[in-house]
Amino acid sequence: MTGKGSEMAREGNDMMGLDDLLATARAQAPAPSDALMARVLQDALAHQPRAVVSPAIVTAPRGLAARISDFMGALGGRLGVAGLGTATLAGIWLGFAQPAPVAAMTGLFMTEVPLDEVDLIPGTDDFLTEG
Amino acid sequence: MAFDALPDVSDEALLDLYAKGDRAAAYALTQRMTPRVLGYATRMLADRAEAEDVAQEAMLRLWRMAPGWRSGEAQVSTWLYRVAANLCTDRLRLRQRRRATPLDDAPEVADDAAGAVAGLIEADRMAALEAALAELPERQRQAVILRHLEGLSNPEIAAVMDIGVEAVESLTARGKRALAALLAGQREALGYDGEGV
Repeated sequence: MTGKGSEMAREGNDMMGLDDLLATARAQAPAPSDALMARVLQDALAHQPRAVVSPAIVTAPRGLAARISDFMGALGGRLGVAGLGTATLAGIWLGFAQPAPVAAMTGLFMTEVPLDEVDLIPGTDDFLTEG
Repeated sequence: MAFDALPDVSDEALLDLYAKGDRAAAYALTQRMTPRVLGYATRMLADRAEAEDVAQEAMLRLWRMAPGWRSGEAQVSTWLYRVAANLCTDRLRLRQRRRATPLDDAPEVADDAAGAVAGLIEADRMAALEAALAELPERQRQAVILRHLEGLSNPEIAAVMDIGVEAVESLTARGKRALAALLAGQREALGYDGEGV
């Protein structure tokens, strides 16, 4: 029994010693040389895919509909374009129809005046009156 | 351990960045992974030049595979160890075919106490361990190196070796017992008897 116990104790010591040895070896991991690191990095860069350009940056040729849409957007969208259209049609109608109130207004400004009655220095009387 | 330029970024995230053309990721992966693969290959092959070739080849396969990496299927490190393990196995089999045993390449180790009494320095202890590792059956050596020298967990080793966790435990235990027996001849020199060298 004593011999067997001694053998077991020795095996235990062996395993403990082995654990120490393995721990020491683990701490002394082989370090790669600079030359190896350079070769590996060279391979890495040589085989690396090129950086992919984001699809959002690549602009495909734009169609007519897209350009019209952009233009409408610049004018304020659908509502803005509708307002502009309405105003345009109203202007055309006023120009052709000449409703009575509008004709009366334009008549005030568009009355023909003989050329010899033109006062080149209008309103000088006002200055003379006030001294 | 080499300097890690991006310590907070996971291996997988780095590989993804690499595949998108990020040069910093290429540098960081090289710094992080090459020492691990080299360490494993050096211990498996006990030959520095061959280990460097294996490390470079394993890393090259990583670069080539990066664009097709499927996220979540495996850990990058586990995948890389597996590639390195296969490359080492190929080289060991080639050696066997050439009838050159791994121990032929390893440094001579004193085989009696008298030769070691003078007290082995640290390098000798490492050389003795290296020689003993080279005598282990390949699978045991692989398991012991991955567990005790590379620090992988048993599930990680199981993934690398493509076996179950219980098989890993068995291989590791048998490998350690065999190592202890191989090194028993140098017990005193290796510091097994309490005070160490």
